[in-house]
Amino acid sequence: MMAVLELHDVKKSYGSDHKKVDALKETNFLADRGELIAIIGPSGSGKSTFLTIVGGLLTPSSGDVIINGQNLTTLSEKQRSQIRLKEIGFVLQSSNLVPFLSVANQMKLLDKVKKGNMSKKDCEKLYEELDIADLLTKYPSDLSGGQRQRVAIAKALYSNPSIILADEPTASLDSDRAYEVMELLKKITKQKKTTTIVVTHDIRLVDYCDKVYRMTDGVLAEEEKHEQSPQLAGAHH
Amino acid sequence: MFLAWQEIKKNKLRFTLITGILFLVSYLVFFLSGLASGLASLNREAVDKWEASAIILTDESDKSLSQSFMSIDQLEDVNAEKTAVLGQLNAIASNGDSKQNIALFGINEDEFIMPKVTEGSAFKEANEVIASDALKEDGFDIGDTLSLSSSDVELTIVGFTDDARFNAAPVLYADLPTFQEVKFGEAAEQNEDQINGIVVQDKSVSNLTQNEDLEAIEIQTFIENLPGYTAQKLTLNFMIYFLFAISSIIVAIFLYVLTVQKISMFGVMKAQGISSSYLSWSVVAQTFILSIVGTALGFALTLLSGTFLPAAVPVSFDLLVMVIYGVILMLVATAGAVFSVLTIVRIDPLKAIGG
Repeated sequence: MMAVLELHDVKKSYGSDHKKVDALKETNFLADRGELIAIIGPSGSGKSTFLTIVGGLLTPSSGDVIINGQNLTTLSEKQRSQIRLKEIGFVLQSSNLVPFLSVANQMKLLDKVKKGNMSKKDCEKLYEELDIADLLTKYPSDLSGGQRQRVAIAKALYSNPSIILADEPTASLDSDRAYEVMELLKKITKQKKTTTIVVTHDIRLVDYCDKVYRMTDGVLAEEEKHEQSPQLAGAHH
Repeated sequence: MFLAWQEIKKNKLRFTLITGILFLVSYLVFFLSGLASGLASLNREAVDKWEASAIILTDESDKSLSQSFMSIDQLEDVNAEKTAVLGQLNAIASNGDSKQNIALFGINEDEFIMPKVTEGSAFKEANEVIASDALKEDGFDIGDTLSLSSSDVELTIVGFTDDARFNAAPVLYADLPTFQEVKFGEAAEQNEDQINGIVVQDKSVSNLTQNEDLEAIEIQTFIENLPGYTAQKLTLNFMIYFLFAISSIIVAIFLYVLTVQKISMFGVMKAQGISSSYLSWSVVAQTFILSIVGTALGFALTLLSGTFLPAAVPVSFDLLVMVIYGVILMLVATAGAVFSVLTIVRIDPLKAIGG
């Protein structure tokens, strides 16, 4: 079966000659449907470079990024934008909700730009699944951090994307809310068979993931997954 | 439009402020346009009433009616469909109680510049005049005997006509002999053929006269050469055009600040695949909504103010001009969104998600 996401010999460098910096060294990566993958590593290690290349926001210096058989590196910016709209859902730290739109209107906006990807019934089901049905009339400023991220996940799932890219989705949350969000990401990854990639520096969250990759100085390497970490065991109910 | 309207609904105070500024600017533009039109009317309404195509003056008068002196015999040198002789002088008229600057026109009753009498009757006898009804507001009435500065002749108002002001002075229409008596006094008989100009109606304004001492002047050119007319018009128009620029600049600054505050939000939306064109269109639509509301409020308040203004204020609202200025105002205000659109187009979604 074809992988949802494939990276072949992808490199990203900045500058030239002796000032050249390799933000991402030769990387090969495969992700299948229904996989929740964590990319961990310290700040500046290249995690965000990886995420933005996968998300079609950054063009690699060399190599191929293939999403559902379409090579992003051969597409125009407009075509990549269309891929992002249809195939990729983003969950960011805290700022991906439009402050002046109610929760219901956040979804309505997506419906306008994505032209009716979800029926009303599907939307209601999604709201129930993410436990945001009671929040529809509220604005982002009225929501707690955890509620905001649940709405952000609902937005990311709106067009039934095949890939969800989450950049530090728990960074602004306390531990309980962070675990709640990871539980939710795991649940939807399995239920909706999406490929979910979570970039985080919070090692406590890796136990929710099927695969863990560590990024160190631009080199991506898969780590053997350990059992629940001691911190997580202590904090997780 | 959805995004634009939702933001306006949520941030009412912010957008009320921008709309308020547009409203005040548009109110000022409409009011100035009314003032420009009113002041222009003060100068030209008597001339407009002639519905003439041109006026013949002496070449040496430099397009000034009061400085043009010619003989009535020079009518023979004028080749036009219709002609009307005209004598003109300025004076102060007094009825004993009130004094007013007036322009006295000497005309022939059977020629096309004879005004339509709206009250009273036309002049029939010597020393009778039809007066501009603007004089009524200054206390003049039918039957009043008028004494004029620099003349011993007394005139009697026998009727009124509307829209009869020339160079801001109300006009008194008299027959040619009465005019000559006022102007030349005892020498009137010797000067009975003296007039200031010949007003003509003709399809063409070229070849109206072959006499090198005479000049055929298009009516619009004649009006533009009335003392102070062009300077006044240019000043007010300059103010209006400057207000257009100001409204565009104000909107541009406001929207730019708002857009800069939303850069990270727009960046995230672009990262999510929402196109720059959708976001740009939203800002343009928002500006258009604000400019429509601001301009409409300015328009309404201008008309409302007009009903309360005393007659002494020379405003005259030309609805067509107001609509044209309103449309220009909306367009230039909307053009103020250009900087915001450029900012949106340049936003790198990569930065929004920390790449």
